[in-house]
Amino acid sequence: MAFIEVHDLVKEYKVNIRNKGLIGSIKSLLIPEYTMKSAVDGINFTIEEGETVGFIGPNGAGKSTTVKMLTGILVPTSGSITIGGLSPYKDRKLNTAKLGVVFGQRSQLWWDLPVIDTFDLLKYIYKIPENIHKSNIEHFSEILGLDEFIKQPVRQLSLGQRMRAEIAASLLHNPEIIFFDEPTIGLDVVAKEKIREFVKFINKERNTTMLFTTHDMVDIEKTCDRMIIIDHGKKIYDGTVEEIKDTYGGNRILSVEFGQNYENILMSGLELIEEKGNKKHFKFAKDDFQVSYLIQKLSQQYEILDITVQEPEIDGIIREIYQGGIKLNESLSGVC
Amino acid sequence: MNLFIIFYQYSKLSLKTMLEYKFDRTFITLAIFFREMISVVVMFLILTRFLHIKDWQLFELFFLYSFLFLSYSLFIFLFAGIRDFDHMIHSGEFDRFLTRPLGLMFQIVASRVDYPATLGHGIVGIILFMFTASNVGIDWNIQNIIYYIIALIGGAIIQASIFMISASFSFWTIRVENLRNLIFFNSRRIAGYPISFYPSIIQKILIFVIPFAFVNYFPAQYYLGKEDIELFWGGYMYLTPFVGIIMFFIVYLFWKMGVRSYSSSGNSMY
Amino acid sequence: MRVYLEFAKKSFQNSIVYRMDYFAGVINAIVMILVNIYIWKAIYEEEAAIEGVQFKIIVTYIIISFLMQMVYMMDEYFIENKVRSGLISMDMLKPIHFRWYVFSYNIGTVVFRLLLQFTPAIIVSIFLFNLLGPFSVLYFSYFLLSAVLGYLVLYNLNFIVWISSFWFYWTFSLVTIKDAAVMILSGAMIPLWFMPEWLVDFIKLTPFDAIFYIPIRVYLGMVPEQEILSALFRQVMWIFILFLIGQLLWKAATKKLVVQGG
Repeated sequence: MAFIEVHDLVKEYKVNIRNKGLIGSIKSLLIPEYTMKSAVDGINFTIEEGETVGFIGPNGAGKSTTVKMLTGILVPTSGSITIGGLSPYKDRKLNTAKLGVVFGQRSQLWWDLPVIDTFDLLKYIYKIPENIHKSNIEHFSEILGLDEFIKQPVRQLSLGQRMRAEIAASLLHNPEIIFFDEPTIGLDVVAKEKIREFVKFINKERNTTMLFTTHDMVDIEKTCDRMIIIDHGKKIYDGTVEEIKDTYGGNRILSVEFGQNYENILMSGLELIEEKGNKKHFKFAKDDFQVSYLIQKLSQQYEILDITVQEPEIDGIIREIYQGGIKLNESLSGVC
Repeated sequence: MNLFIIFYQYSKLSLKTMLEYKFDRTFITLAIFFREMISVVVMFLILTRFLHIKDWQLFELFFLYSFLFLSYSLFIFLFAGIRDFDHMIHSGEFDRFLTRPLGLMFQIVASRVDYPATLGHGIVGIILFMFTASNVGIDWNIQNIIYYIIALIGGAIIQASIFMISASFSFWTIRVENLRNLIFFNSRRIAGYPISFYPSIIQKILIFVIPFAFVNYFPAQYYLGKEDIELFWGGYMYLTPFVGIIMFFIVYLFWKMGVRSYSSSGNSMY
Repeated sequence: MRVYLEFAKKSFQNSIVYRMDYFAGVINAIVMILVNIYIWKAIYEEEAAIEGVQFKIIVTYIIISFLMQMVYMMDEYFIENKVRSGLISMDMLKPIHFRWYVFSYNIGTVVFRLLLQFTPAIIVSIFLFNLLGPFSVLYFSYFLLSAVLGYLVLYNLNFIVWISSFWFYWTFSLVTIKDAAVMILSGAMIPLWFMPEWLVDFIKLTPFDAIFYIPIRVYLGMVPEQEILSALFRQVMWIFILFLIGQLLWKAATKKLVVQGG
């Protein structure tokens, strides 16, 4: 049995058709009118201990809902989740004792007090033994450089410093699993790098299972072995970052809008991957062919209205996937 | 036992925060003190002129009033988190509570202590109590002292329950904060004087709907035994703790409903 | 002039948005009137003067006082919010006089309160609480004038407190303490004639009685005709003094803003 098991996870929301105003809202409370909307629509996956997994997906795709169910904040409509044999919502207190959560946009530190005060409070909340608490703080201080600001009120810290303290706070009780929700949002490049290094280090050192949601693909590339792409409440990819990169990174996508709908376009080097009427997407290996050569060849034979070449970065690939510009190639091992 | 330690740690941090802004918070405490003294001073001015209202002397009225301040102070000291719960939902602080290995209600209650309000109201209450406790003919034997403390706690719980109703609404993202303040503080204003001064409809509201009469009038009557208690059933004088417990229990069920609804919908779609 | 009219209009529309505050204003006033009427009823009951003149006068006093308080409610944190958010420097750049801008904003609120809060509240008061009419038509016009002056006294007093936000940042405490002083010393909660002499002597040295006490006494016809002018003059004098203090502080505040850049 895997450490985290998720089976047929479904989350449907009742979306209230809410009337405005106080009377309206009381009316909506007494006689609720609603429609159902599924945010997560039958997701399955398993995660082994010590894995680092990034959840990505466009806004509203269902990744936050999935993570909220994993952390026990939300109860699933159907399906099951077990983490180390426990249910996150039925055994909330037991489960959360092994859980660390970092919200990039919500601090758990006391705003007006020095960082160390929050650390002390967490000792009591998680019943952390004195010696572990102490050695953890020393250890994290060393790697994260907390020393320079641990006695300063949080409100005086830079965002980067605050994030470092935030992550340390979530790790004090030696959680077996830790969730990062947008951990690098708003940080500069240097601060981001520092955080990624630390996260990787902790993962290696303690074999902590780590789950990320982020919009920053570099976070995923540098810290995660595995990525799960969620779109429209469904898992559409579950595999390594490398595989997607290898498949699409060595290749470029040439999107061409033709003047008319040509039946068969045959040209050496171009492989048709998707077509929508006059608009066709081809894949080509950037090392074998030059774009200018391909364009020239195409325009000699066909009437062309518009032509674009897609960037090769993972960021661009993912964006294209969201926008439906790329259909994930069935031959990829991670495609669901 | 562990919960007590955590509660203590939380209050320590609240106190530290307050000390960070010593000057400002002292002024706020002072301001709350003055604001609450308005009605006391008005009562004093009226009574220096008229000596008594109906059968009630100045000291007796002050004694009645002291219950309002002391129980409110106790309520804010223990339950400021319930007062601020709306905010906890909207800021996502409540989601954080859900990811911690502690009871939800405990975290809400423990995480907030509003010292300025506790002190501002508490000092008014203590002043009133000190002035009156030995002047209104109460024999402070053990039994009376114990009931006084129980009545204060009961009163604090009654007020906490009223605030918890509005807190529960925020699980459905309905904001009733303003309405709650309107109802709560106006009831409190009315309860400042003996409810026997008012027409029977207002008396009934303060007994059965927003039971402020059990916060001050009935417990005060337990000690004072003024004639106007005959307007009401005498048993009310002993009911404050029970009203508090029953009300809290009912409201707690509503609260549970709210938590269940929240965990199936969250504070936003995604 | 036009631009200030626009500010007033904007503040009027702004007030409509906060519906809950609107209801709260009306209900608070009515509850306060109700509570006080029953207290006074209890006081006069034994003297068998319940239908007597004294009781009717005190009831009218209370009603007029709380209705005036409702209409005179101002946004106490308007300037503080501007100072804290830094928007104040933007306002200073505009070709307007900031003091007039603040004033027109408050006038808009007064108009809103008169039309939408005062009207329902006075109707309730007339039907429920037997409000006495004004002493005479002449006195009623004196009252209107005196009430306007009373508003200006309070406004200029408030302005002094508001402007202190340039130095204090948070003015909650100061505003609250000021409110407490106004509530007790202006006769808003209890007529000055019931207060001990030493206190009244003290109040006479302050602007507080010029806010509520003078206008209400005029309404009730308690100021002899030959003294009305001097009463009104007293109000004008306080407006003038408070305005000057406000102006001095305002000058110091703008200087501070220029020096420190907000």
